[in-house]
Amino acid sequence: MYQTILEVKNLKKYFYISKSQVLKAVDNVNFSIERGKILGMVGESGCGKTTVGRTIMHLYRPDEGEVLFNGIDVHQLNNKKYRQITKKMQMIFQDPYASLDPRKTVGSIIGEGIDIHRLCRTRSERVERIYQMLEMVGLNREHANRFPHEFSGGQRQRIGIARALAVGPEFLVCDEAISALDVSIQAQIINLLIDLQKKLDLTYLFIAHDLSIIRYISDDTIVMYLGTLVEKAETEELFLNPLHPYTIGLLEAVPIADPEYEKSHKHDLLSGEVPSPINPAPGCRFASRCKFAKEICKRERPFLIYAGNGHMVACHMVHSDSW
Amino acid sequence: MNKSESLAIVGESGCGKSVTVQSIMKLVPTPPGRFKAGKIIYCGNDITDYGDRQMEKLRGKEMSMIFQDPMTSLNPTMRIGRQICEGIMKHEKISAAEAMKRSVKLLKEVGIHDPEKNVMRYPHMFSGGMRQRAMIAIALACNPKILFADEPTTSLDVTTQAQILEMMNHLKRELKMAIVLITHNLGIVARFAERISVMYAGKIIESGTTDDIFYSPRHPYTWGLLSSVPAVGKKRTEKLSTIKGTPPDLFMPPIGCGFYDRCDYRMKVCKENDPPSREIGDSHWASCWLLDARAPGVKPYVVKRHSGESSCKDVM
Repeated sequence: MYQTILEVKNLKKYFYISKSQVLKAVDNVNFSIERGKILGMVGESGCGKTTVGRTIMHLYRPDEGEVLFNGIDVHQLNNKKYRQITKKMQMIFQDPYASLDPRKTVGSIIGEGIDIHRLCRTRSERVERIYQMLEMVGLNREHANRFPHEFSGGQRQRIGIARALAVGPEFLVCDEAISALDVSIQAQIINLLIDLQKKLDLTYLFIAHDLSIIRYISDDTIVMYLGTLVEKAETEELFLNPLHPYTIGLLEAVPIADPEYEKSHKHDLLSGEVPSPINPAPGCRFASRCKFAKEICKRERPFLIYAGNGHMVACHMVHSDSW
Repeated sequence: MNKSESLAIVGESGCGKSVTVQSIMKLVPTPPGRFKAGKIIYCGNDITDYGDRQMEKLRGKEMSMIFQDPMTSLNPTMRIGRQICEGIMKHEKISAAEAMKRSVKLLKEVGIHDPEKNVMRYPHMFSGGMRQRAMIAIALACNPKILFADEPTTSLDVTTQAQILEMMNHLKRELKMAIVLITHNLGIVARFAERISVMYAGKIIESGTTDDIFYSPRHPYTWGLLSSVPAVGKKRTEKLSTIKGTPPDLFMPPIGCGFYDRCDYRMKVCKENDPPSREIGDSHWASCWLLDARAPGVKPYVVKRHSGESSCKDVM
């Protein structure tokens, strides 16, 4: 048993659009997750969160770097060995409408993984396991014979969770697993994910853009901007003392459900929009929107450095006096 | 709605928020939709029975709307400039060149850089945030008195969302425009609205000023909605409170209170009788049998403050 369940080292994933255009979706990302922890990953759309999740899951091949799962590089395995690993890591997708096959019954959606990994010897054992999964996620046995279109968004997401758990994984990538749901349903699914994490001793990589959810659920949080990792810290520490100018701007932008706080607080908003990740300029990716940007930021790319209190920050200005 | 006021309509999806404003704008196709009862009064005139011709004069000029998805609500085959001009030239007798000049000015107002160039571009060349800004420019083209914004920031990122909200706030102050904002994000409501109406299963079940709703809510559904947002500093060892179940099927609307099946405080009376609305304060009212003098007292709702500490407020 490795204490570090997943380690991502120097991960790079580029998409080549044409001869002269490269989309650097993920550019040199490093992080690790300890067994039994929840790691939150935040960032705006197009910053490469999903690409990181998918590369970990072997749905994309990285251009460089390693994804070590229990010490084994996922991308170096042959198909047979890789199949054994998929039993240990699973993914929950964002869109509960698009991620379930509309022509299959719920039972066969959940049973597919069980069949592939030959987890059940007899038919009745298989059916029993499907029922057990359905009940574990708060659905009924009778739901096994129905089709996905008969369910609401929240129930579909439960089916997606049951499908992921059917093969008995240790590690789950939850890619925006709740962002397509209504507020009151979101809370139900989050409670379910937390219960399951405790019960089955799971580890999550929780990708979301909703910061209040990340703050609630995760032990550690990483912030991504345009394919790079800009800050990494223990969650409360990150939210109370953000260091990177982008993290500060991101936290400022989130509206808080407390009118008095909103009225009394002056918002210091980020200007502009996320630039295109195609052929990015050298230097810090955030330099074009950063108000502290200096000459060096446009020239050299900052590396993640230790900034005290378990903080890792990629910013030239954090240690200088001018900040 | 009063002039220069901001009202937020909140509720889960499928509770009738969008249909409410679409029927005011007469955008619900009739048939199958029809007005069963009630009136829409705009500036003293009853517009309930207005036909298409009459509505055309109002839409764009007096009231206009911003839709949720800026990609599907802009015409992909028309340049942005022409889409803005369309409304202006419909309502005002000015030349095309003049209308184009106005479009450039409008784009600048909504914060699109380089408006002279962008006015000639097509929607697909814009980013999500820019498209939403362009749509706001179209809505503002004829200085409407009421702006309906149907989830204007749901498909946008937080930083862009904050910029759009800031801009809408600015418009409200500068142009004295009344804005109705539909959303399910309580944070946006807190940042933006002066008054809130909470909708559930096709009815407004509680309405009041922003402070009324956030700090002394009276309806159990409002309590549930407010507490399903994780409080700051709360960790996952404490469970999030949820509203159990799902909203009722409106093909077969329940006879009594629509929230009966999901309510933790339900009583016998709620099942068969629809609760009347009761006034609580000047502008604050709610529809719940708990407000009846005969109802038993319930545990007070705990108000959440951003500073982290919760204050217990006696609401019942």
